[in-house]
Amino acid sequence: MAVIFFKRLGWFWLLVLLQALVLNHVHLLGCAMPFLYVYLILTLNVNTSRKALLLWGFFLGLTVDIFSDTPGMNAAATTFLAFMRPSLLTLFAPRDCSDDMEPGIGSMGEWLFFRYILAGVVLHHTVLLAMEAFSFFDFGFLLLEILSSSLLTVFCVMAVEGICKK
Amino acid sequence: MRNLLDFFLKYHHWFLFILLEVISFGLLFRFNNYQGSVCFTSANWLSGTIYEISAGVTSYFHLKSVNEELMERNIYLEQQILALREAYMEATCDTSRVEEIRHSVLKDFTILKADVIHNSINRTDNYVTLNKGETDGIYPEMGVIDGNGVVGIVYLTSSRFSIVIPVLNSKSNISCKVKNSDYFGYLKWDGEDSRYTYLMDLPRHSVCEKGDTIVTSGFTSIFPAGMMVGTAEEITDSHDGLSYLVKVKLSTDFGKLNDVWVISRNDAMEQRGLEQKIGK
Repeated sequence: MAVIFFKRLGWFWLLVLLQALVLNHVHLLGCAMPFLYVYLILTLNVNTSRKALLLWGFFLGLTVDIFSDTPGMNAAATTFLAFMRPSLLTLFAPRDCSDDMEPGIGSMGEWLFFRYILAGVVLHHTVLLAMEAFSFFDFGFLLLEILSSSLLTVFCVMAVEGICKK
Repeated sequence: MRNLLDFFLKYHHWFLFILLEVISFGLLFRFNNYQGSVCFTSANWLSGTIYEISAGVTSYFHLKSVNEELMERNIYLEQQILALREAYMEATCDTSRVEEIRHSVLKDFTILKADVIHNSINRTDNYVTLNKGETDGIYPEMGVIDGNGVVGIVYLTSSRFSIVIPVLNSKSNISCKVKNSDYFGYLKWDGEDSRYTYLMDLPRHSVCEKGDTIVTSGFTSIFPAGMMVGTAEEITDSHDGLSYLVKVKLSTDFGKLNDVWVISRNDAMEQRGLEQKIGK
């Protein structure tokens, strides 16, 4: 149990630092920003309790917020994603999955995992970028930002998954 | 009673979810006017220290271009001083006055050097984090400049770090004027291109042409008058048609902000005290 916790904590800091020091500076074509840190929430074990999921999501978002000077934004969006995750899994997880399955290419297959990640990432980015756009409301640009950022994040998640879990 | 307890137990994750979202939104909305929120920003000691280490590494990559810029600026200023000194000598034949001018320019201001340890340009509300804080004498509402021009205004300070609202932030609001005229307006960023910003509320009867230099007005206690901001790129009418809207090309390159200076006017407290009295 403790081993799993510390492994998660390791991932937590790795993703936060990667996000703060590298990915926050990426801004492709003026609209696409990767938010790779949601990878942690999306790949927590299936039997993680809803409460634990929410707390992981909140503190992950809050830590990213602290590093990018956006208090509350990432925290709210990631808590929302953590809240929606069980429903997403019932939609996308294979019927015959075991109780302690870890969502991933290995356990779900590439196509199912891709759809699951895409749905989760779009949910998260919609909340996050809509909140950021409060002061300059331009619906078309917001939509473009959500779509392009989601694609970039999904690409990053699939890349990390491909490297780590092969 | 039993049913109520069952209800709470069954849906406890709903309450946790709502509680966490309320905390998040509380942080989001209080950040604007709550000075204590400094621990939820990159000015707290942990993230500050991590950014300081990272900036220590990355600043080496820019050394060459920074050096070149400084050289150019230095040469330009040296030539200017030389020319001015000669002109002044010709006009007055007095050398002691030259020394006096040199001392009087920065007499009212204290200048502190600081390094940028974190900076963003791609959000609608960007912030810059500096590696100096209250222990070094930096307090909110001091002006920040770099070698090329105005950067922004100090917003939050912790003991070792401080956060600056740069020109590239929707909350930034710096009073500026067209050089060699006294018509003034204020700078506002539209959240799009990090190289341009807009000068609003410039009176319609003022004279402004493409290529004119935009400088700080010096009306607030934050910046001295005449600090370089940028050059006018395009002059159009404002949305209500009552004033000009000038697109300004910023002279500061926010993409590679590195060494900055924090300036504080020695009698700023006195002016602010007076202004607050009027406000009451």
